[in-house]
Amino acid sequence: MREKVRDINSARNSTRSNVSPGAVTPRRLAAIVAGDISGYSRLMQLDEEGTHARVKRIQRDLIEPSIAEHHGRLVKTTGDGFFAIFESPVEAVRCGVVIQQNMVGRNASLPRDHRIEYRIGVNLGDVIIEEDDIYGDGVNIASRLESIAEPGQVFISGGIYEQIKHKLVCGYESLGDRKVKNITDPVRVYRVLPDPAAFNKARKRRENILIFLLSFVLFVIASSALWYLLPQSPGKPRDQASTRLSPDVPRPLLGKPSAQPAQPSPSAAPATQEAARQDRLPVLVPPAPKQTPSQLQPAAPVAPRTQPAATLREPEMNMLPGGAFMMGSNDDSSEKPVHQVTIKPFAISRYPISVREWNECAAAKACAFVATGRDDAPVTNVSWSDARQFVGWLAGATRKPYRLPTEAEWEYAARGGTQTRYWWGDELRPGMANCKGCADVAAVEQPARSGSFRPNPFGLYDMGGAVDQWVEDCWHKNYGGAPTDGSAWVEGDCGSHVIRSGSWKNDARYVRTANRDSYDTSVRYPTHGFRVALSP
Amino acid sequence: MKIVRLVVLAAALALLPSAVQAQGKSPGKDALLYFIWPQNGTTIKGGFWCRFGLRNMGITHAGEDYQNSGHHHLLIDVNEPLEVNEPIPQDKNHLHFGAGQTEARIELPPGKHTLQLVLGDTKHFPFSPPLVSEKITVTIK
Repeated sequence: MREKVRDINSARNSTRSNVSPGAVTPRRLAAIVAGDISGYSRLMQLDEEGTHARVKRIQRDLIEPSIAEHHGRLVKTTGDGFFAIFESPVEAVRCGVVIQQNMVGRNASLPRDHRIEYRIGVNLGDVIIEEDDIYGDGVNIASRLESIAEPGQVFISGGIYEQIKHKLVCGYESLGDRKVKNITDPVRVYRVLPDPAAFNKARKRRENILIFLLSFVLFVIASSALWYLLPQSPGKPRDQASTRLSPDVPRPLLGKPSAQPAQPSPSAAPATQEAARQDRLPVLVPPAPKQTPSQLQPAAPVAPRTQPAATLREPEMNMLPGGAFMMGSNDDSSEKPVHQVTIKPFAISRYPISVREWNECAAAKACAFVATGRDDAPVTNVSWSDARQFVGWLAGATRKPYRLPTEAEWEYAARGGTQTRYWWGDELRPGMANCKGCADVAAVEQPARSGSFRPNPFGLYDMGGAVDQWVEDCWHKNYGGAPTDGSAWVEGDCGSHVIRSGSWKNDARYVRTANRDSYDTSVRYPTHGFRVALSP
Repeated sequence: MKIVRLVVLAAALALLPSAVQAQGKSPGKDALLYFIWPQNGTTIKGGFWCRFGLRNMGITHAGEDYQNSGHHHLLIDVNEPLEVNEPIPQDKNHLHFGAGQTEARIELPPGKHTLQLVLGDTKHFPFSPPLVSEKITVTIK
């Protein structure tokens, strides 16, 4: 096959070559990789210097090392693109895929219109190689392939495909013969799908959509049938729904936090509280709690939701007085300098947001996934973006400006008026917080039910330990330049946000009220949760 | 009939999203995780850009399940053995790069420190067998 390709290409070159026919110019069969940034001029218009610096950095940090690593040679770079040659087609395509996959990561935290996306074309051709340039229609074809590639993708020619199809574990989607500009013969084009599963996806896309629609319709029918059949016995379905809700409505739903019945102290009467929580549970989730999202979700639109606000249970909130406090500590460089912050009165949820509270948002299709685990356990595996989605939904559904607490508010709330290392003093005491090695009980797989440990002086549970908690602020490596009015610090690099509290998987150092850490904004991790805040 | 079976299959799969657990994925063939910089034994003044190298596998955003890909974790001064059946811990000694970063600005107090890379899958689990880099030692002046 290689011979055939070589013949075709050299024949083409000899007949159509527009370069000087001097016999001394070295010719070589090479895999040519052409890359180019899509929408470069638009990016330049947006931010000329920034884009230029980023492109240079990508070239230095990603493109040049990737080419070298795959034994290729960077022949030339243009403002927004590059040409490289490889002796091996496999290495050439691999290099293209590596560049594209790395770009996915680099772009992940950027807004869509700031993303730098490369189009890459790879062709096998007989080319004339000079010190800082290459010629021949093999090069032109590579650059045409690049120009028809979609941003973020690698398109290869038939010649390359024949060489690599059994050697590189990728999916290849044939796009047929394409006529490309100024090249007489049509070129066979393949799209590289780095993930073979994506190949099947592409092939079965239409089939899958059909199946999806079909199963969705089936579920809707099944669940609506269920909905109307189940409460048939005592009366009309709608009456049933309201009578089932009515005993619960006056109690905790719309009442202000202060209007709530006194929360029984969990250490004193965990069983009562448990029971209280359990008896409310069926009201919120009409089907059995173990039921899966696919059953729950289609049911939601069918269900008679005349007053969504009335059925929504708001998180239990504690109102905190305003005041000034010393934020930070000298225990870790990220917590310095210790500085005074003034906090206005605000309310913060008594517990981290629970699985049940989260799943109401999921049932309303405003949150991205249905959480598993005990209803009264804190929800976990949420990213900062997920948490923001939740507060956005909660604010809309209740028409109250629910939000994430600011970092200063969180620490103020966690300290509960104390200046010690932990809210209960400077020494670790067992049974105060859910952290690794802090409790007498052995480490557990899941964070314990919220409210299993002692509340702090503000009556807040799990301010330290249990789950890491997102706050509104972007990450800064220390408090140099931090606001002192209790507002969120959102200037600067918001690719990562602040998490507080430490989790059940962290040791006692992380339970300290001043402890702070960061995590990528849109990445989920199994120990991350959050609580909500509200300004009066 | 094939479609009907597929529908049933799709329904079954849709009902059991939690049953699908991505654990113990095997790393790519010939995959190699390494430090581009710093090298073992380097003495560095102040902060530095740590650059992560990965051969024969791809880097993706955590949470996106592409075959043959993962995301970086940098272990600083970690002496405990890696727990293969648990997510890679997240604390000040286990830095995560779930947005697909291939480099990071690292600032460490003066003294000797060990650095090691671990590749994690979409759910932050190590691969099986774990794909880790050589554990290197650097000295901060």
